[in-house]
Amino acid sequence: MGKILVCDGNEAAAWGVARSKPDMVAVFPITPQSSLAEYISQFVADGVIKADLMDVEGEHSVLSVLQGACLAGARTYTASCGQGLAFMFEPYFRSAPLRLPLVMSIVTRDGITPQSVWGGQQDAMTVRETGWIHMYCETCQEILDTVIMAYRIAENRDVMLPVNVNHDGNYLSYGVEKVELPEEEEVDAFMGEKNTNWHVALDPDRPMGVDPLTGGAGGVGPSLFVSYRKGHCKGMQNALRVITEVHEEWGERFGRYYAPLVEEYRLDDADYAIVTIGSMSGAGKDAVDAAREEGEKVGLIKIKTFRPFPLQALRDALAKVKAVGVVDRSVSFAWNSGPVYQELLSALYFLDNRIPAVSFIGGLAGADITIDHFKRVIDTTARTLQGEVPSECIWLNEND
Amino acid sequence: MGKGYPTIAFYPEKCNGCNDCVEACAQIKTETSEPVHSRISVAKDPDDEFYGLSLCRQCGDPRCVMDCPARALTKNEDTGVVHWDETKCVNCQICTLACPYAGITYNRITDQVMKCDLCNGDPACVKACAPMALEYKIGAEIYNTWGDLEDLFVPGVGACLGCNSELIMRHTLRRIGPNTVVATPPGCIPGVGSVGVNGITSTKTPVFHPLLTNTASMLAGVKRYYNRIGRDVTMLALAGDGGAADVGFQSLSGAAERGEQMIFVCVDNEGYMNTGVQRSSTTPYGAWTTTTPVGEALQGKTRDAKPLPLLMVLHSCEYVATAALPFMEDFYMKLDKAIEASKRGMAFIHIFSPCPTGWRFDPSQLIEVARKGVETNMVPLWEYENDLGRINITHVVNEPLPVVTYLKSIGKYRHLSDEQLVYIQRKTDERFELLKKFTKESKLEGLSDAA
Repeated sequence: MGKILVCDGNEAAAWGVARSKPDMVAVFPITPQSSLAEYISQFVADGVIKADLMDVEGEHSVLSVLQGACLAGARTYTASCGQGLAFMFEPYFRSAPLRLPLVMSIVTRDGITPQSVWGGQQDAMTVRETGWIHMYCETCQEILDTVIMAYRIAENRDVMLPVNVNHDGNYLSYGVEKVELPEEEEVDAFMGEKNTNWHVALDPDRPMGVDPLTGGAGGVGPSLFVSYRKGHCKGMQNALRVITEVHEEWGERFGRYYAPLVEEYRLDDADYAIVTIGSMSGAGKDAVDAAREEGEKVGLIKIKTFRPFPLQALRDALAKVKAVGVVDRSVSFAWNSGPVYQELLSALYFLDNRIPAVSFIGGLAGADITIDHFKRVIDTTARTLQGEVPSECIWLNEND
Repeated sequence: MGKGYPTIAFYPEKCNGCNDCVEACAQIKTETSEPVHSRISVAKDPDDEFYGLSLCRQCGDPRCVMDCPARALTKNEDTGVVHWDETKCVNCQICTLACPYAGITYNRITDQVMKCDLCNGDPACVKACAPMALEYKIGAEIYNTWGDLEDLFVPGVGACLGCNSELIMRHTLRRIGPNTVVATPPGCIPGVGSVGVNGITSTKTPVFHPLLTNTASMLAGVKRYYNRIGRDVTMLALAGDGGAADVGFQSLSGAAERGEQMIFVCVDNEGYMNTGVQRSSTTPYGAWTTTTPVGEALQGKTRDAKPLPLLMVLHSCEYVATAALPFMEDFYMKLDKAIEASKRGMAFIHIFSPCPTGWRFDPSQLIEVARKGVETNMVPLWEYENDLGRINITHVVNEPLPVVTYLKSIGKYRHLSDEQLVYIQRKTDERFELLKKFTKESKLEGLSDAA
């Protein structure tokens, strides 16, 4: 049994970093990630984190120094969000194809404009097609545990991909909970040996040209480029297995079991389900419990791993219900609905029977998604079973 | 690169045509003063400003030796002297045709060829030359120090004819050596194949493509980790002006401010040459580029170049220098200092890098163009050492040439009006005066004057 802390999500993430023992950490403060940067700085000052802390001049360089360090053999960590992530995008974009096992928290924040410093998942959702692994946490404890697990996933030889551990700005970043800090020795045993650059390195003992021009219309270029892309896809698909295995091992060692890809909550006898992601899931579960007490046969599907997309797990969950309502905390402008909803529609294609699906968007720019909001989600989804299917996305906070 | 040997250097601007050298040579070789026996001669066409010299250069790869069918000519590997063996010579005189310098000539009196043998290291002509137009010296001594080191850049790269970047790459890597991580952001250097194409690389050290924007940051991360695990590895960036002065400037500035340990070389060809000759912030005023074209309304770039090396001085880098390849020993000296300085912090070298393709001049004129850039004071050669706290001009140009002699040799300035030429001369003079303020003895005392 580890030490019990009372801390917010940003401090929980910093404790996860401390236990993961990275060599190099770089951070640039941005709301609502700033206190995470401060916790890390204090931990380095206190000797709790023994990493080299690089306080560089912006997020673009944050990820760049970590890429360099990783290519030299370092285990690394950073955290950002919102505009910081946008500024970081250029190096971010190439991290996954370089197969660098970086770990980074996104303390999710809504996008500007309108100018906003509050929570929302628009930042993380916007970068979902860059080949990073994306996991969303529900609680502060899950943040701490998932940061540590992320290294085992990223550095797995069948994966070798960067991991974003996402937690909701405001709700988790500043929300205080009881958290158990696992013992250092037990985490050391869980982590095993580090080897971040066996496959691609900047090392005079193993000279190589890292990232030569690849492609073009002739010669070996086209097939070589495809082999890199297919290798990346394979790493992503392998990650589904590795994420599951790592979560199982974590549960065995530390007694905390999390659904690695998709959590099913009161789903087995449900007629219909709501789908959540991130910290809203707690309120969603409470609303489901309340509805159950009123006789509604409703369940909840929580998505933890959004990249790689957990197609099989989601398909298995959806196969148990006759209707589904999806709550997003960001917007897919192309589809006038939420991105999780849109991707879930792809999973529905693989079901034998077509079921109604409703898109809800809530919690933008720090807005609360309350149990009352979830009651509306549940009611609306239930009515689809009687043929009342909304033709458009429902914006939960529109009339707050 | 081979070895540097003694030779006789000639300074045409000092020669007055007195012919004392000719007499001295004839005297010591034949004990007569008949010019016909001299191995050296000076001559001048009426239209020429200076005298020209006919004398054996003791070439490193002598054409006469290569072409001699009788093996009568050999290069002595110890002394460097190209030796003529009278007993083997068949008097075909092919050597006199092969030599581009008229360094081996036919003597009609002896009916044999003759050539300079450097008088066993004490040449009579040099001693006889009162205006000191002749000097006995070891040419390119850097080759003796570094010449045997491995060229870490493979042959057969895809550079344009007469590319300065290729020269920079080869010399820099040769000097810095293989225990180095090399960053070549997008631009001409990876364009010619530094990192390679489709799985095949051209550099024998670890080498990579950073982004155009993050070269200094990525190298800083590599270096910090090697320091952490106690490995001494040198970091080298070979970036263009875009990757250093423009979109790469934020990360360079940040790394310089933090004192990250690396050698950052800016290969400044004054524009985005690899993408087709577009303007950059270091493109000089008046220069034609594809994005500062010449037309009715505008005639080339309307703004002055950003003074990147001075900006790096103001970052208090450990070492900052400018360099140009006609002054190779100056460049090697600066590389030496940069290597040492990079163990303490940022060493920044800004290399003036004329581009025959993008600047529109004949590739054979590369070194001449670069030399004129320096000798007009448009590109002063200097260094800044942090512990001294001031700039030192390493190649003083006593009588700077007018800028027009440089500008007229380059196509991208072909359109310049008289007003524009006057402006460039004035700005060149002003910039040089500003630079001189930084050379004052006390630490950056000149700054307040400059401001």
